[in-house]
Amino acid sequence: MKKTITHSIIWLLTILIFTTTACKKLEENPSSVIVSSQFFKTQSDAISSVNAVYSSLNSDPNGDFPLYGRQLNLLVENASDNQIFSPSNTNPDVRALGVSTYIPSNSRIQKVWQQLYFGINKANIAIDNVPNVSTDTVLKNRLVREAKFIRGLLYFNLVRLYGDVPLVLHEPKSVNIEDLLVKRSATAAVYQQIIADLTDATSLPKNYGTADLGRATSGAAHSLLAKVYVTQKLWPKALTELNIIINGGYGYALFPNYKDVFQKATKNGIEHIFSVQFESNLGAKNVVQNLSQSFTSFNTGTFPIDVPANKSVYELFSPIDTRRETTFYDSVYNAATGKYVVFKNAYTPYFNKFVDYTLSPLNTQAQSGVNYPVIRYADILLLYAEVINNINGPNAEAYNAINKVRARAKIADLTPGLSADAFRDSVFLERRKEFIQEGHRWFDLVRQGGNIYVDALKKIPEKSAVSSKNILFPIPQTERELNTLLTQNPGYN
Amino acid sequence: MEKSIHRKKIATRLMVFLAIAIFTKKASAQQSPPIINSTLIGSVKDSITKQPIGNVVLAIKGTTHAVTSAADGSFSFRTGQKFPYTLIISFIGYQTKEIVVDGSPITILLAEKASSLNDVVVMGYGSQKKSDVTGSVGSVSKNLLAQPAASFDNMLQGGVSGIGVTQNSGQPGGTATVRIRGGNSISFGNAPLYVIDGFIVYNNNDNANVGSIGTSSNALSTINPSDIESVEVLKDASATAIYGSRGANGVIIITTKKGKKGVNNVNYNAYYGTQTVARKLNLLNGAQWATLINDVNTSDGVPKTYNDAQVAAFGSGSDWQGSALSNAPIFNQELSVSGGDEKSRYLISGNYFNQDGVISNSGYKRYSARINYEKDISEKFKVTANFFGSRSIEHKLPGSAYNSINFSNAYASLILTSPIAAIINADGSYNTSNPLNATPTNPLQDIVTTINQNTLNRILGNTAAEYKILKDLTLKVTAGVDILNTNQQYYAPSFTASPAGGSTGYATKGYAALGSGNALSWLNENTLTYNHTFGDKHFLTTLVGYSTQYENGKSFTTSAQQFPNDLTTFDNLSYAGIANLPNSSARSSSLNSVLARINYSYLHRYNITLSERADGSSKLGKENKWGFFSSVGVSWNVNDEDFFKPLQNIVNSLKIRLSAGQTGNSEIPPYSSLSSLSPTNYYLGGKLVTGISPIQIANPDLKWETTTQYNAGLDLGFVNNRITIAFDAYYKKTTDLLLNVPLPLYTGYASALKNIGSVSNRGIEFSVNSENIKTPAFNWKSTLIFSANRNKVLSLGENVKSFFPVAPTGQVSPVIVQVGLPVGTFWGYDTNGLLKTADLTNGTPLLGGVPQQAGDTKYVDSNQDGIITTADKHNLGSAQPKFTGSLNNTFNYKGIDLSIFFQGSYGNRVFNLLQQSLERPTLTQNASATLLDRWTPQHQDATVARATNSPVPQVTDRLIEDASYLKLKNVSLGYTFKTEWANKIKLKNLRFYVSVQNLFTVTKYTSLDPEVNFYDNDNTKQGIDFGTYPATRTFLAGLSITL
Repeated sequence: MKKTITHSIIWLLTILIFTTTACKKLEENPSSVIVSSQFFKTQSDAISSVNAVYSSLNSDPNGDFPLYGRQLNLLVENASDNQIFSPSNTNPDVRALGVSTYIPSNSRIQKVWQQLYFGINKANIAIDNVPNVSTDTVLKNRLVREAKFIRGLLYFNLVRLYGDVPLVLHEPKSVNIEDLLVKRSATAAVYQQIIADLTDATSLPKNYGTADLGRATSGAAHSLLAKVYVTQKLWPKALTELNIIINGGYGYALFPNYKDVFQKATKNGIEHIFSVQFESNLGAKNVVQNLSQSFTSFNTGTFPIDVPANKSVYELFSPIDTRRETTFYDSVYNAATGKYVVFKNAYTPYFNKFVDYTLSPLNTQAQSGVNYPVIRYADILLLYAEVINNINGPNAEAYNAINKVRARAKIADLTPGLSADAFRDSVFLERRKEFIQEGHRWFDLVRQGGNIYVDALKKIPEKSAVSSKNILFPIPQTERELNTLLTQNPGYN
Repeated sequence: MEKSIHRKKIATRLMVFLAIAIFTKKASAQQSPPIINSTLIGSVKDSITKQPIGNVVLAIKGTTHAVTSAADGSFSFRTGQKFPYTLIISFIGYQTKEIVVDGSPITILLAEKASSLNDVVVMGYGSQKKSDVTGSVGSVSKNLLAQPAASFDNMLQGGVSGIGVTQNSGQPGGTATVRIRGGNSISFGNAPLYVIDGFIVYNNNDNANVGSIGTSSNALSTINPSDIESVEVLKDASATAIYGSRGANGVIIITTKKGKKGVNNVNYNAYYGTQTVARKLNLLNGAQWATLINDVNTSDGVPKTYNDAQVAAFGSGSDWQGSALSNAPIFNQELSVSGGDEKSRYLISGNYFNQDGVISNSGYKRYSARINYEKDISEKFKVTANFFGSRSIEHKLPGSAYNSINFSNAYASLILTSPIAAIINADGSYNTSNPLNATPTNPLQDIVTTINQNTLNRILGNTAAEYKILKDLTLKVTAGVDILNTNQQYYAPSFTASPAGGSTGYATKGYAALGSGNALSWLNENTLTYNHTFGDKHFLTTLVGYSTQYENGKSFTTSAQQFPNDLTTFDNLSYAGIANLPNSSARSSSLNSVLARINYSYLHRYNITLSERADGSSKLGKENKWGFFSSVGVSWNVNDEDFFKPLQNIVNSLKIRLSAGQTGNSEIPPYSSLSSLSPTNYYLGGKLVTGISPIQIANPDLKWETTTQYNAGLDLGFVNNRITIAFDAYYKKTTDLLLNVPLPLYTGYASALKNIGSVSNRGIEFSVNSENIKTPAFNWKSTLIFSANRNKVLSLGENVKSFFPVAPTGQVSPVIVQVGLPVGTFWGYDTNGLLKTADLTNGTPLLGGVPQQAGDTKYVDSNQDGIITTADKHNLGSAQPKFTGSLNNTFNYKGIDLSIFFQGSYGNRVFNLLQQSLERPTLTQNASATLLDRWTPQHQDATVARATNSPVPQVTDRLIEDASYLKLKNVSLGYTFKTEWANKIKLKNLRFYVSVQNLFTVTKYTSLDPEVNFYDNDNTKQGIDFGTYPATRTFLAGLSITL
């Protein structure tokens, strides 16, 4: 009897276990992760995919410095005559950029390349997939054009920094390296794509509602297009675009106070045409405004990691130039002690534009909410002066444009009656003073051609290793190892 | 379609197995009935307890005829042999006895013993006579298992040849890196598989760490080490292939203590001890530091900061390093009740362990309980249940973040604080006005006031039912569950510089974080074992089975900051001014397996093991879910051969083992083969918006990483087996590595997970056990263990010769993964002293792009291109030792026992990252005393470069130090009272002991401890030291009572 019971128990148990657990399904249906087959179904998916394109500008997926917010500046400011590293900066690759000794394996050069292409990939995904979402066509078109604007901006950076680059317009579908090999496309072909994307983006709205402030506008597209043409020295085309921005009813103007360009309270204001957005304490992951680390501590024994190339940068400014006190600081009020702390050493005064003075305590600058202005109206005015000068010489219109910028800085008008060359030099000097730390200087030096870039850097003793090869950055070493089709820029090996 | 092919494959292989089984049965069925010449009856008992012993094997010497004793110890032997004959009596854990029998009945007394060639060895899914074993299996000696330790992985070190264990830090309850015969994989899963009383656990410390700050918590420390009866380490493919996809990194089988029939014991064990810091660093004192600052000033071309009088006044300054250190107690006690009757065995145990840290505000505490129960419901039907539950609470060292890495470097922060700053103000409060600190904080106060607490609760239960369907056929069904729950609580007060989500407690005005994780794993295994002896010559055991394991985990973390005060900490986040974005995650995976094994032995002389396992894992690509893993092992007991007889005076036993087979690894995170999207953030209109974009490209072809292993082994016994040697040589090649392969960045992805590349490990290992002196009064045993492994990257895929693992932001990776070198080879410059004035003009190669002067480091231009660039960096050795070894000696004299255990490692190197920081002069941080021998114009014959302001830290041969070491890990001296004396005070057994752990370390390594892994289990970054929790020396005394 007992035996029968045990028998029954064990068989029941066996059957029970086999039937309930055997062959647990091996297909994965994750609840915590979205997979691509589930995505691009709804309007909100479409919007999110474009938000992700924007986020490639202000954050790094691995928590590294964001593209706008330090990484790009390491190339276009550190490798210019504006900026160098301080003793607190221990990264040899960053130091190499400061003294023109960088080589193709430089990790920062690779990181900028990576961040640009990661953004392009996100834009490619949005451009290819948003049209398939069933939602309002007007919205879809807008989203695609926003993505194209960013793609144009990123390729514009790429082509200027690296020359011929792989022109990738669709996301990769395979992990097999053979399917991923592409050659560098000629600079002209890359520009053609940039112009096509930006031209399409000029159909974007002129303005957005409050909730969408910060998105790319048609004004931003026209402005960037103007910069593209200026870089290519296509003056009449550039002039057409600049005229649209200035006279097309966009309502852009200079802030009366230069300082307001870099204030949280006045962000996305009248002068801002396109800015990369930063905010304080909104809990976003991997979004840090590292340029604000120009202030790190009230301790005078520590240094910001990036500092002016030398005193000559500060000495560009006349004492009455209101840009000087916005661009640099040498003392900061310490609310805890009620006293001003004065910084005085070989590297002072320090950069100031991105320091967010509304933060408390002040040394939480990683949380800086100061936007990074990619294009602002002062840039348009100075480009206009440059373009007019190139077409018609330094006429009244050209003078008028540059003098608007000077007047806002509370300095006197430019000496009248300059030659076209002298006028051009004055415009570039004005650009340098206006845009310190804003990612223009390297581009402005290099696009002038000739030995301008090399000569400018030679004036800074630490940067004397510079040579003509430095008008392009090297193609990152690992890219060429993985894809042997990629050639290297002249002078690097 | 794919699936049906796989099923067919499995079915075919199973049929082959069954066919072999049936064939062998038929072959043996032709024997004629034996003639009976004598009948012997008797019983077997324990020589001390006089309790009967069941399942004892009694065999007649010179034949293969054997019987086993019944549960009451009785047996009867009907045999063709005539009296007198010699009977060999053997049983697990008892000394094998030979007696001459000349009549019936008899009573045989067996004595317990330590080890022998005829022991039964615990294998995967069963056990086997040691003589029949074909694989490479090692057991950790009881002696080592008796060491006091927080977690059993600490006790494996030096316990078995071929296993390498590195304590990652001295943090109480911290993790260890365990590798069996080297690491096979580069990116994923190098840790062995643990099988605890039949339940399979892949130890994933991620389950114990949810957004944790500081060193990671050790999920294995949840298990009370004293509950462990035995630990077997399965090393080669013949032993591990039965675990198929999970066996590649070796298997550690843990069997917990069980009750014994007829004895009811109450055991109480306790020890109490004190821990002291084993080593401190030599740092600059106040005056020395001030002089250094003045030298830096001179190199900057600015006036000196301190005049001579000020320098002198600083004197020795503050000892920050010592300020957080104190001797700390360690205490353990446990009570167990065990026993059994005719039908059932039980053990119930409870444990309380409390280890304070030698650094303030750190420590580890564990409460655990276990119930093991076994019941013979009938002669055919047995059920067992093993349950344990534990709760451990760890207080971890926080620390300011080292770039993006939040490891336990609060201690490093302390070391780096300038000695001229006072620690405590005159009124006893912490000094927070150090002018050299970026914030008004105090690193000692940070350690003392930051709460970083991790509570781990674990329940592991496994039940099994075994039913003898036929005499030789047993069905076993097991079902078990492992539930691990972790709660993490963190608070960085507003007055600390402790990490606070990328910022500091000060900057965030108080930062609280909470995290919780639940991991569940259940396992069902169903096996059918057929065990039959044919004609006393053919011994066959076949096993077929099916198992399913399912794992899931969920976790969340949340944090908030800006608290009006520091009173409520993490216990009420609603006081916070800012809530950060919370995180949550969920994952699940399953593994279905079909397994089969045949063990066949002819005369226990010629043995073969065939095993086969098919595994389907949900984590792999949809095209390649299933993998097949087979192995074959053979062994030959040469000493049983007639031709060997003349040699037996010299060599008592000689066994040759050979095996080959494949095992796998799929320890990648779930969903790795899918094209998954992840959230990012942007701001529009001043508000946070979410962006969604892909983070990986789908790889439907993702498959098993496979390790093919060949093993040759030799077991030798001399002098009546008083000296035994086990020697093994192996070669392992891991192919289809699960590797994050770099992609060209213009694709928009940095890497993709692919099966690319291969790694090899080859090595030799041996263990020697010797009973040097064996007299009734005095006994001396030695165990020597030696392992040497060579690891090499064979391939990393097309066009990839090397890659640098991701380094912290702004840092250059000190390690490289390169074809032809071991995984994680240190990569840096050779140096050749310091530059002399003449070198600057005579064409000596200089560091490119940086002005160099006399007194700067002189780098070696290894590629001889006339300039020092990163191309001159080269192989500076690796963290992998050339060999490791241990020597354990135990002495017994009457009741006194003494054990001395040495353990060492040779040829491993450590990158002394802390020293790199300490040798880099800045105007704010303290520095190493090695800087006293720095170059100055007056002292040009120096070892360290001149003082400049914050020079770029370079990875140089000077910092890649020889970390070979020899440690006296454990000395213990005990006294066991004579049974008669113990009985007088109503005790069965009474033992007192004292022991010292880590009494001394012989090493050239200059920092805290040569055993160090700042990056924990990361396989590519082993042997990096950035000031982990210091190692300790422990003195303790204990007693053990049996009632």
